[in-house]
Amino acid sequence: MIEKYAVLYPHTKFHVINTHVRNIDGVAKVTGRAVYTFDVKLPGMLYGKILRSPHPHAKILNIDFSKALELPGVMGVVTGKDTLGVKQGIWRRYKDLCDEQILPVDKVRYIGEPVAAVAAITEEIAEKVLNLIDVDYEVLPAVFEPLDAIKKDAPEIHEGFERNINVTRHIEWGDVEEAFEEADYIREDWFKCGGQAHMCMETRCAVSSYTPDGKLTIYHSNQSPYYMQALMAGVLGIREGDIRVISHYVGGGFGGKFELDGAIFCSAVLSMKLRRPVKIVYTREEDFIATKRRTPMYYYTRTGVKKDGTFCAREAKVFTNGGAYTGMGATALYLTGFFHSFPYRWKAYRYDGYRVYTNTLPSTSMRGFGAPQAMWCSEQQIEWIAADLGLDPIEMRRKNAHHEAYVIPGQATIQSCGIQQCFDEIQKWIKTKGKLPKNRAIGISAAGFMSGGIFNWFDTPYAFSAAMVIINQDGTVELHVGAQDIGQGSNTTLAIICAEALGVKVEDIKVHSGDTDFCPPDLGAWGSRQTLMAGNAVKMAAEDAKRQLLEFAYAQSGMNIVYDLDIKDRWVHAIARPERGNDYTELVKKALRGKDGHRIIGRGYYTPHRKGMISPAYSYMLQGVEVEVDEETGKIRLVDSLTAHDCGQPINHLGLIGQLEGAFSMAAGYGYLEYMPYEDGKLMNPNLVDYKVMRATEMPPTPVAEIDTYEPEGPYGAKEAGEGLTNPTAAAIGNALFHLFGIQIKECPIKPEMVLNTLKEKREKEKNSKK
Amino acid sequence: MEKRLITLNVNGIDYELYINPKTLLVEAIRDYIGLTGTKRGCDTVSCGACTVMIDGMSVKSCAVLAVQAEGYKITTVEGLEKDGKLAPVQEAFLDEGAYQCGFCTAGMLMSAQALLNENPNPTEWEIREGIEGNICRCTGYNSIVRAIQAVAKGKYMEVKS
Amino acid sequence: MINDFNYLKPGTLKEALAMYAEHDDCKVICGGQSLLIIMRQGMIAPEYLLDIKHVDELNYIKFDKKGGLKIGATTTHHAVEKSDVVKANYPALVAMENKLASIQVRNWGTICGNLAHADPAGDPAPVLIALKANIKVGSAKGERTMALDEFFVDYFETALQKGELVLEIQVPVPQPKTGTAYQKFNLLESDMGIVGVAASITLNGNKKCKEAKIVLGNAGPIPKRSKRAEEFLAGKALNDDVFTEAGKIASEECEPVADIHASEEYRKHLISVLTKRILKKAYEEARG
Repeated sequence: MIEKYAVLYPHTKFHVINTHVRNIDGVAKVTGRAVYTFDVKLPGMLYGKILRSPHPHAKILNIDFSKALELPGVMGVVTGKDTLGVKQGIWRRYKDLCDEQILPVDKVRYIGEPVAAVAAITEEIAEKVLNLIDVDYEVLPAVFEPLDAIKKDAPEIHEGFERNINVTRHIEWGDVEEAFEEADYIREDWFKCGGQAHMCMETRCAVSSYTPDGKLTIYHSNQSPYYMQALMAGVLGIREGDIRVISHYVGGGFGGKFELDGAIFCSAVLSMKLRRPVKIVYTREEDFIATKRRTPMYYYTRTGVKKDGTFCAREAKVFTNGGAYTGMGATALYLTGFFHSFPYRWKAYRYDGYRVYTNTLPSTSMRGFGAPQAMWCSEQQIEWIAADLGLDPIEMRRKNAHHEAYVIPGQATIQSCGIQQCFDEIQKWIKTKGKLPKNRAIGISAAGFMSGGIFNWFDTPYAFSAAMVIINQDGTVELHVGAQDIGQGSNTTLAIICAEALGVKVEDIKVHSGDTDFCPPDLGAWGSRQTLMAGNAVKMAAEDAKRQLLEFAYAQSGMNIVYDLDIKDRWVHAIARPERGNDYTELVKKALRGKDGHRIIGRGYYTPHRKGMISPAYSYMLQGVEVEVDEETGKIRLVDSLTAHDCGQPINHLGLIGQLEGAFSMAAGYGYLEYMPYEDGKLMNPNLVDYKVMRATEMPPTPVAEIDTYEPEGPYGAKEAGEGLTNPTAAAIGNALFHLFGIQIKECPIKPEMVLNTLKEKREKEKNSKK
Repeated sequence: MEKRLITLNVNGIDYELYINPKTLLVEAIRDYIGLTGTKRGCDTVSCGACTVMIDGMSVKSCAVLAVQAEGYKITTVEGLEKDGKLAPVQEAFLDEGAYQCGFCTAGMLMSAQALLNENPNPTEWEIREGIEGNICRCTGYNSIVRAIQAVAKGKYMEVKS
Repeated sequence: MINDFNYLKPGTLKEALAMYAEHDDCKVICGGQSLLIIMRQGMIAPEYLLDIKHVDELNYIKFDKKGGLKIGATTTHHAVEKSDVVKANYPALVAMENKLASIQVRNWGTICGNLAHADPAGDPAPVLIALKANIKVGSAKGERTMALDEFFVDYFETALQKGELVLEIQVPVPQPKTGTAYQKFNLLESDMGIVGVAASITLNGNKKCKEAKIVLGNAGPIPKRSKRAEEFLAGKALNDDVFTEAGKIASEECEPVADIHASEEYRKHLISVLTKRILKKAYEEARG
């Protein structure tokens, strides 16, 4: 908190916020006591397995499982015909985009799509029995790449979608043609961005238990229990309130676990048929081939600038490989277009995005939500433009960057923005690096991200976030939130906010989350929304509870009404006379007696209003990455990095560092390691031997320079901190290669062979031009 | 196939199991003995989530048959605490935030402990090599490295009276 | 899912060999770090599994100045990596072990098991062949020893006959003025090599090559010596140009197969770069 803000916001001398707080779930996690869905075992539980399509595109003519039922230990088989056949999707307001039957009735659209599910008394029997199910397919022609799928004669994947175009999105402001006229220099490039697997350590899994009273309890590894509850109600034809979703500990999400998956749906359908609990755990291979992935994209971008580096206009066209179904892909399509403008002021901007169906794994949200692709293309092109014009790339960025109170026409208003300080920090860092060895270079990339989306395609009737604070007679606090902790530490962040607002210690607070029976509905953990949205709801609930306590304290004290009371660190006192006060616990005890024994309950909620189209607030960052390349092999090694980062007021210090470091490893993986090659619709590396996830030996140091800003819309001035950091790294690596060799690599992830080939091409071109 | 009666010593306790010999050690620990702290994250001996210690050395329990582990002292994450007190590596993981979702944590802790058993003063690179068999998708590893360094530096040494 | 098998647990080598002779469709497990993966994938489904992990008489590392190094079949990678005599006399072997997979795998897996698995990308074979290692195998009928070079037949296939176990690796004491080195190219430190090269150089005097061994890993169905490059080097005065040329020859001689990680052309290129580098390293070590 910088001085200026401390003066403006005098209540910001914190007791808990931004101090060293151990994660409140930590002891459970380091002792093996935390029970994940993967660990759940219920009495009488059966084990389910899913039969998957070997074809990328085929009609299901007939499924014969009579032989399967004869195998001892097999309890039941279900196919699409056992379901209501509901076409579901997370974009519930748009019926045509609800296009996925988790167990399709008549047609499969990608390799790995569920076709039937079995339940047996052991997992082994369930796996064995899959071989005894005969499926007759009529194989249809398939198409795998978006630029092929939009051709006139391409096979039709979904009825009624001309040229397989699933969704289009258009963003425009200013007069683009006129603004290009003003430009002295125009550059256009095509880029290709790969997919990426979420690769959560806990694969998709669920245990469903349907009981004869019509109630369904589901343990499920997900990012939004409320979404699961609502979506399952839709596909099963039962009421939301009759479904309980429990997700206490979740082994990672990263944007891949807030849609229905085969595990939750098939286990529930089996359980409803058999009236016994059914558990389904995806193998790692299933998790790779049959969940969803980061959206692969083809990017065309054209940018016009003045000689002095002033940005005039940009237009972009994007074709995304949507895969077989919509999922969250429609949102990614919008966001990639929006963040492709970030974090700069364009006089005019136009974006046209086309999401194209193909017969491959569906694409969806993944940490960064379209923005890593946007930055990969934008930040490299900007670096090349600076070089083309002979300008300093940081100064050129600086000149055009967002600032406080900047209005993105028709889209958003920026309140806090610390990107200028980010430029300063990285410039300083580059200077301290001095002259680098000849096989090393530094690449930089800027980025920004939203703090929670203002989208309601889900059509929830509830507030986006809600919280309830209950104070017990001994001063302990029950905090009920619908926000979901998937490892990012939201339980701890929200406990910190609650403790700060209520004036108690973190250890006084017990957080209840991950259970739809006991937590208010909340959209869950995606789109970087929880710190800001759930944080505001918690703050409001805690302040509501505190107000009730202080009303009592006031009445007791008989003080002059001009005095203000407050609670800090369990001390109830007059703000003007902090030494005069009472113990919080004593106050609570008395207050309860005064309320006829009722516990004190505070309520809070948050739904963004009048905050534009996208998000209430935006984080900003600039990242520098020092990269070493073996010129003879093309192998990339990350040597060092610095991230200058404006996330408003940090709340959970340890959590913030963890988010930054974790995002870096995932983003770097996207930049140079995690490729997903397909051959005829088949993923060629669905295992952790061939799919390369960064290890400890690949990680460079990842220090952070925190930029102090205050976001008026965020709780205590906080905004997004974990997801946006996935955006800059791939481009920074690309830019380092540009500075090292002068090569422009337009495809990510960058494989060493690509580095060599691009270098070779460039050198041959240079040789020929010399002749 | 003939089932076998074996005795596994896990965290100092002998467990008698009657099992199919193809049962993996991780399955014996999780499904038969019921200690679910140890996790599984792959089928290719890649991720390290199932790491346990066998006679103090780290081993991936998905790559060992339970019948092969008879006669050794097996330690799982549940066996790190002593007399209700967390082990130094556990305290250090808490202080450094060296876990997020926690799913890799049991295996990571066992690799960390085994490394320190063999090399109480590892260099940073030795620590990184010591945990390279464990994937963590959340933390980016650097906090884990810091936690192990803190233990090696003696930050969590018990005060001996 | 692993298919059911009958588990055989011999207490002694004699028992092990007798059991192995007696049972058809029997596979041997020791560390099992590769075997259990392919069993889980259903690639093999033997009726019997013979577990030699606890045959302690095969767990040894012996060394003497005359006979060289002997490593028993159940010796773990970890034991080799940490052995003082190996460190002192075969540093290239230690360096190779140090980069083999992860600590967990080295703690339980064995070097002989790695050889018997015969994955062309396995790390130990190229180094051991460069060190002129022999492999001793045996069955109930008797023992035989062959050059490790002749042990590999095809992808995952060896010269082991029915009923034969790998018993021991024998590595002669290197000639004076010999240097050996190994390097693999991988994307993650703990990966197997996309390709790997081991080389051994023995010098005649200070500069001239008396004898060279170059072994290419994952550049064909089996670890393969680049005999043309070896011949090219013999008798030559060594310098960077010579190493580069040897690298070119090696890359022409190998037959790598493309996969998702690297094309055939790129693999050949890597072979030439790695060969050049590793020859230089071996040369520098030989000069001392």
